[in-house]
Amino acid sequence: MKYFGGCDVGSTYAKCVILDENGKMVADSTVRSKINPVQSAELALNEALNKVEGISSAKELSYLIGTGYGRNKVPFADENISEISCHAMGVHVTNPEVKAIIDIGGQDVKGIAIDKDGTVKNFAMNDKCAAGTGRFFEAMANAFEMSLPEFCKLSLKAKNTIPITAQCTVFAESEVISLVGEGKPMDEIAAGIQLAVAKRCFVMAKKAGATDSITLTGGCAKNDGLKKAIEKVLKIKVVDLSVDPQLMGALGAAEYARQKGLAK
Amino acid sequence: MKDLKHLIYFENLLQEAKNELVDRAIKDGKLAVAYTCYHIPEVLLNVGNCFSVRLRAPRTGSMDIATYYMSSYLCGYSKALLERGIEGGYNFLSAFIGSESCSEMNRTYEHFEVLNLVANDKFFVSISDIPFKIEPHTIKHYANQMQTKVLDRLRDVYGVDISEQSLRKAVEEHNEVCRLITEIGEYRKEENPRITGYEFHVLNLVTYCCPKYLILDKLRETARELKTREPDEKKNYRAKVVVVGSEMDDPDFTKLIEESGALVVADRYCFGSLPGREEIKLNDEHNVLEQIVLHYMKTCQCPRYMNQDKVRGRKEYVKKLVNDYHADGVIYEQLKFCEYWGYERALASHIMTNEYGIPSVTVDRQYTANASGQLRTRVQAFVESLEIKKIQKEKGINL
Repeated sequence: MKYFGGCDVGSTYAKCVILDENGKMVADSTVRSKINPVQSAELALNEALNKVEGISSAKELSYLIGTGYGRNKVPFADENISEISCHAMGVHVTNPEVKAIIDIGGQDVKGIAIDKDGTVKNFAMNDKCAAGTGRFFEAMANAFEMSLPEFCKLSLKAKNTIPITAQCTVFAESEVISLVGEGKPMDEIAAGIQLAVAKRCFVMAKKAGATDSITLTGGCAKNDGLKKAIEKVLKIKVVDLSVDPQLMGALGAAEYARQKGLAK
Repeated sequence: MKDLKHLIYFENLLQEAKNELVDRAIKDGKLAVAYTCYHIPEVLLNVGNCFSVRLRAPRTGSMDIATYYMSSYLCGYSKALLERGIEGGYNFLSAFIGSESCSEMNRTYEHFEVLNLVANDKFFVSISDIPFKIEPHTIKHYANQMQTKVLDRLRDVYGVDISEQSLRKAVEEHNEVCRLITEIGEYRKEENPRITGYEFHVLNLVTYCCPKYLILDKLRETARELKTREPDEKKNYRAKVVVVGSEMDDPDFTKLIEESGALVVADRYCFGSLPGREEIKLNDEHNVLEQIVLHYMKTCQCPRYMNQDKVRGRKEYVKKLVNDYHADGVIYEQLKFCEYWGYERALASHIMTNEYGIPSVTVDRQYTANASGQLRTRVQAFVESLEIKKIQKEKGINL
């Protein structure tokens, strides 16, 4: 049996997916990124490889594709493909009915429209600023003195939403601390934060031309409060994926690796 | 491909506004005259003992002081020039010639004067009004502005020879540079071009930033070298693109695009060669200055012009570049807060993609492109989509 790998080295997490020649996912891994993308890739690759019988090193994969911001640094990769193309392909093989993605990673937000064959039809992404990304949520959770999962669920209990005007992580943190100091309910402040980010996602989705059948990918896809806020602003139900949405980049890369490796 | 003999030399000239050749020209008794905009005919700043320097601020870092004087909402180019001026980087200048064509840059001109940024008692800043339409009376106005705000000032302050003969000589020298750059640029139309976009960007930028008489020898040699240069058999790119947009004086941006898989085959941006490096044809019947300004008015592709002929003409121009240079798509780049290109890129990229069927992507960029991972991802994703569209087209698949 031949195996194919996709390694997505993101700014906060590195993910790896290994597929067999039939496209079945045989292993995956998610590890916290190190400062050195080579180390992050090695960690993710080794963890996934340990779960596959008969192979022990990335050299033994028939084809390996790197993606994510550290895509150029994946050891033994045959080539690299942008995470935009990989997320589109990952979602397409998971659910071909889905036509658009909002990908919220550690340091950027992307809106991606998917073509019939899983390629990218159009996309939009934020520029340098990390507002409304995973880093933003981590900073907000810190400001609330909560773990990230606790923070992500907090807004679900809110009866009202307190608007947050700042999108910049630094300014938003100051605004949140002021609101907490004024004694405003924490869950309503959290709902305001989720709504602010959801509006940013709305812009990216619309810029990319996304109309219906949208899903969330990236680490922030696991943020239930954000998902609810996005459904509210987009006025549609977000499609849940059967595979961990954080793995979509690595899965897409592995699928591209499978297609290219078999065509070799 | 074999490295171009003088590429490193040319690259080094772009590391500072006051480079080795600028220094040498000043030692030769020449006057450095700065400008920033296409609306100031470069040839007018090359009369007599003057030489033009299209102003840049290479290796810009923090722009905090300029932001204090201007605001956060002005473009990085205008702020970078002010910051570098405050740092004392432009003390070699004799004059700074501006045009009333961009209100953001006007703030820079003002600050050069108000803050007395150039340590030269005779240094002056002069700003000219530029018309919006090509009519006999607007051309006369434009010529009059150039005469009184540029040529007469240079003559009165520095005793520069601004005679018709001097103008014609400047045009001749300019035309030789244009012929060389055009000859080199023509190679970019080849199926597998023998010159990269980055190399061309460096060569062209040098012609804007250095005294022309000091670069001509090496430019001629480079043109000769390219005649026999063989491109690599295996193409180093996956798609060809035309880059269109606002002020761009950073070859690293082109390098970033090319490292992401796209070969830049045509440059339609401020400081580019299309337009910028067309010969000025002078006749003996008409006023020389009026012929010069008419050339610049006719060739200008700046989005400040809002009449429908010009607006539509700009899209047609880009479409023609895509066809002539066999490009697969267009990258619209906008310097963040550039007021004209903010509107132009939004509308033009939509028209390009949806009406002309030419794939395009838009990028909002900083003055310098260093370390922009997101920009790299965006360009790479665009290249991948172009590549797939090309494959589908070859296979006759229409999604």
